[in-house]
Amino acid sequence: MARNGAFAAIAIAALVAVPFVAPHAEYALDVLFLIFLYGAMATAWNLVGGFAGQVSFGHAAFLGIGAYATAIMTQNGISLWISVPVSALLAGAYSLVIGIPAFRLRGPYFSIATIGIGEATRLIARNWSSLTGGVSGLTLSSAPPLLLQYFAALALLVAAVGLAAWIRASRFGYALAAVRQDTDAAETLGVATTVAKTQALFLSACILGVAGSVYALHYLFVSPDSVFGFSTSIALVIMPIIGGLGTVTGPLIGAVIYTFIREQLAATLANVDLLAFGVLLIAIVVFEPRGILGIADRIRRMRKPPAVTVPDG
Amino acid sequence: MLEVNALAVAYGDVQVLWDVTLRVERGEIVTLLGANGAGKTTLLRAVSRTVPVRGGTIVLGGERIERAPSARVVELGIAHVPEGRRLWPDMSVEDNLLLGSYPRRARSDVRGSLDYVFGLFPRVAERRAQIAGTLSGGEQQMVAIARGLMSKPSLLMLDEPSLGLAPIIVAELFETIRRINDAGTTVLLVEQNVRQALEIATRGYVVETGRVVSSGTRAELLASDEIKKAYLGL
Repeated sequence: MARNGAFAAIAIAALVAVPFVAPHAEYALDVLFLIFLYGAMATAWNLVGGFAGQVSFGHAAFLGIGAYATAIMTQNGISLWISVPVSALLAGAYSLVIGIPAFRLRGPYFSIATIGIGEATRLIARNWSSLTGGVSGLTLSSAPPLLLQYFAALALLVAAVGLAAWIRASRFGYALAAVRQDTDAAETLGVATTVAKTQALFLSACILGVAGSVYALHYLFVSPDSVFGFSTSIALVIMPIIGGLGTVTGPLIGAVIYTFIREQLAATLANVDLLAFGVLLIAIVVFEPRGILGIADRIRRMRKPPAVTVPDG
Repeated sequence: MLEVNALAVAYGDVQVLWDVTLRVERGEIVTLLGANGAGKTTLLRAVSRTVPVRGGTIVLGGERIERAPSARVVELGIAHVPEGRRLWPDMSVEDNLLLGSYPRRARSDVRGSLDYVFGLFPRVAERRAQIAGTLSGGEQQMVAIARGLMSKPSLLMLDEPSLGLAPIIVAELFETIRRINDAGTTVLLVEQNVRQALEIATRGYVVETGRVVSSGTRAELLASDEIKKAYLGL
């Protein structure tokens, strides 16, 4: 744990230094910005999908609400100090509205319900034109400086990963693990399972709400099909699975890979990135469901045989 | 300490329990006997509030609990060890046990509870670092009971603890249940192994198709011709 902390501190210090060492490498800063943003979003999804085992295919809804809330408030001249926290809370509030009924369902039924919720939210955004601008979306006029965006996304990532690390080691984290592995057993042993799931979803949604703010201020454009799109929800599922579901650093590793594939492949040939994700996903599910971290763990074991062997019998 | 009055439970349109009334007094081992599908497991699940109750009351130590959330019931001192053990398979034995101390009430003395269950089940102590899903059936059952005890229950409800275990392990397990009871924990036991159950029980209820059809002390049940014929094969 202390070693992880030291490693994290060095990594953060290095990332903070990057813009000062290479102030003109705008493309690199832009890629890092995207990694931070996707990393924070994947980490947030993982609180519900990984830690609590409730796989959601509708998480774009929270990103979209945060993005639209910030866009609308910014257009009306409201300061970011107010609009960003309000965006987080709106996304959180929305998670309670949908989480309370959706968590009456379990396993695949919950997942299917989240697809419906995500799509319904997108359609509301498309049709509520007076508020959202309909299909044409909303446009903002001026972006904060790239440096500010970079640090905001980094701060969001650090907060999200820090929260995940803290939750994982806490009583709450163990309650979520109990829910994931056997919900009925957790219930009979005194874990208020629906409450725990709802809390995890709320935290997840709040982080995605802030991510939505960062998104809106970066792209200066939000539309139903971009922020509420099903492909965004799928990306949030893919990243933690690639990296390692239910781990602290897995979603971040997944975000790095996701961003590189997207940036590199989407630029060369349209839609070839989707093919790459499909192949990667199948390979991981078939060969190592624990993701990249699972592969790393295997390599470690091969190099160093376990010190303690379990006796037979 | 536990009073169930006129309890009715249904899964959707299918009614499983009709008008079930029973009591468990402090210090007893009460066993529920009956064939498969009689409603014994449902009765335990109704008490631990993991199925909705259609009618009737459940009173634990003076508090009505038939509408309480399951977490509240655990806080009040009931531990339900469900059928089929239901361990968290990817966690170590020790993490399973520590999660058993999840209720607020149990958290002040986790160390003491661990010592207690390791004393009862030395085998579990040996296996504490092992991943729970890799244990044998008998060991998993021991961990399941130990995990239940980690919440410091006053009433321990065991659902088919002998299911799928070798006879020699079953005998050992029932001896341990008796020791748990001797240490002051009341036990409500659902068991298909009627002979073993009646050996340690103080009283019993016979449940058939969702109703209590007879009840009595251990001696009365052992002497009953119906019980002998239906469950003991005599």
